[in-house]
Amino acid sequence: MSLSTHTTPSGFLLPSIHSAPAFFTEQPNPTTQSSATEQWTRLILTYARHRKLFVLRVEDAESTDSDWSEILRNERINRMFRLHLHAFQRSSSPVGRILPNHLSNIISNMVSKNLAAYEPPKQTRSALIFWRLPEEWAEILYDWVVSIGQLNTILTFYDITDPPVESPLTNIPVPLLRRAISILGKTGRSQMIAIADGEGVRFLARSK
Amino acid sequence: MRRGVGLAAFDRQEQSKRSFAELSSELSRSQIENLHSQLDQFRTALAHFASTHRESIKSDPTFRHAFRQMCSSIGVDPLAGPRQGGWWAELLGLGDWQYELGVQIVDVCVSTRGRNGGLIEMSELVRLVSKLRGMSGGGITEDDIVRSIKTLQPLGAGYQVVEIDGCKMVRSVVKALDEDQTVILAIAREKGGRVVEDDFIRQKGWTRDRTRAALENMLIRDGLCWLDAQDETAGRAYWIPSAMQWDA
Repeated sequence: MSLSTHTTPSGFLLPSIHSAPAFFTEQPNPTTQSSATEQWTRLILTYARHRKLFVLRVEDAESTDSDWSEILRNERINRMFRLHLHAFQRSSSPVGRILPNHLSNIISNMVSKNLAAYEPPKQTRSALIFWRLPEEWAEILYDWVVSIGQLNTILTFYDITDPPVESPLTNIPVPLLRRAISILGKTGRSQMIAIADGEGVRFLARSK
Repeated sequence: MRRGVGLAAFDRQEQSKRSFAELSSELSRSQIENLHSQLDQFRTALAHFASTHRESIKSDPTFRHAFRQMCSSIGVDPLAGPRQGGWWAELLGLGDWQYELGVQIVDVCVSTRGRNGGLIEMSELVRLVSKLRGMSGGGITEDDIVRSIKTLQPLGAGYQVVEIDGCKMVRSVVKALDEDQTVILAIAREKGGRVVEDDFIRQKGWTRDRTRAALENMLIRDGLCWLDAQDETAGRAYWIPSAMQWDA
């Protein structure tokens, strides 16, 4: 069979390995498996960036209409078999898809490489995906604050995650925002402040 | 012929011997001179040839092939690298070409090892190396690859061209393929990369145990294939990446 790239309805270019049925199975050979995990990781990160997705859940592997279905499933894999092997076709609809356990292992691998973080912590079913590292988010956040002239004023989290004019930080999950703010705090560029209805943050000019 | 008798004859003989010696050294001197000037001419001609055709040699596979045949008929290969090519290689400035190609072959073999376990089909290798060289690198052929792999031999990395069922493959890991694996690869090629146990039981009359052992060895011990545990017909199918066609 020929393996080729494929463009999804959302305009994402799937790599050719995504059309290999075996890509959806965990490999017993450790070297092969680490290569497969690497490819999955890259795929998850680039897709997350493409769709601006922040959270990946193990359950996403079981749902047919999750945000991630375009990469976690491959409907084309079995359509091809249907043509040749319709006699063997089972009544269920078997399509190429990653199994939850496999996805869970990939997420755990990503967490170990700091490319994701379990959120909330102390569970392993859901994770923030770092298609930008928290350090990069911190710089983007700071540049954005400077660009809208809000240094030294107090901003709520809501001001940042849902600004009147869409920004690169629109819809950023609060836990990720907190990480970015605390990274800026280390260089004295941000300060958490308790305000009447929760928490706010003040950004300060870079100390020379 | 009159034969000299007496003492005077010795002198005469000595004399003629000397003259002959002079004549012969004269002759060989002129021959050497001749040869030198011929060699000089040849050198200039070759350098001229090299400077006018260097680009074609590097970029045009057919031209390179013809050039190589010409060179091998006089017993040198300027493309084989500075050491083997001697001053030819330096003169032509082509010596590094083969080494450069060697490095690119290693690059492709190593970077695809994760998915094919160190066994790659020749045409696939040619395609990937060509892609790596880009447009400006010019075309390369199987012949070029085979030669480059030979120049890699002193490195002892185990690069080898093996033939499986009439199809050339390049192996970049030191691992002997046993007979059963060779059969598996051949069948996988027929089937576009996907094989299941029944293929071998039906087509080759293998027992299930033998089939399973051979496939599982390839899968787990050698990393030469991938498992599809969700295969809808067999439940367990083996995919052999080196027998599959990759578009990108």
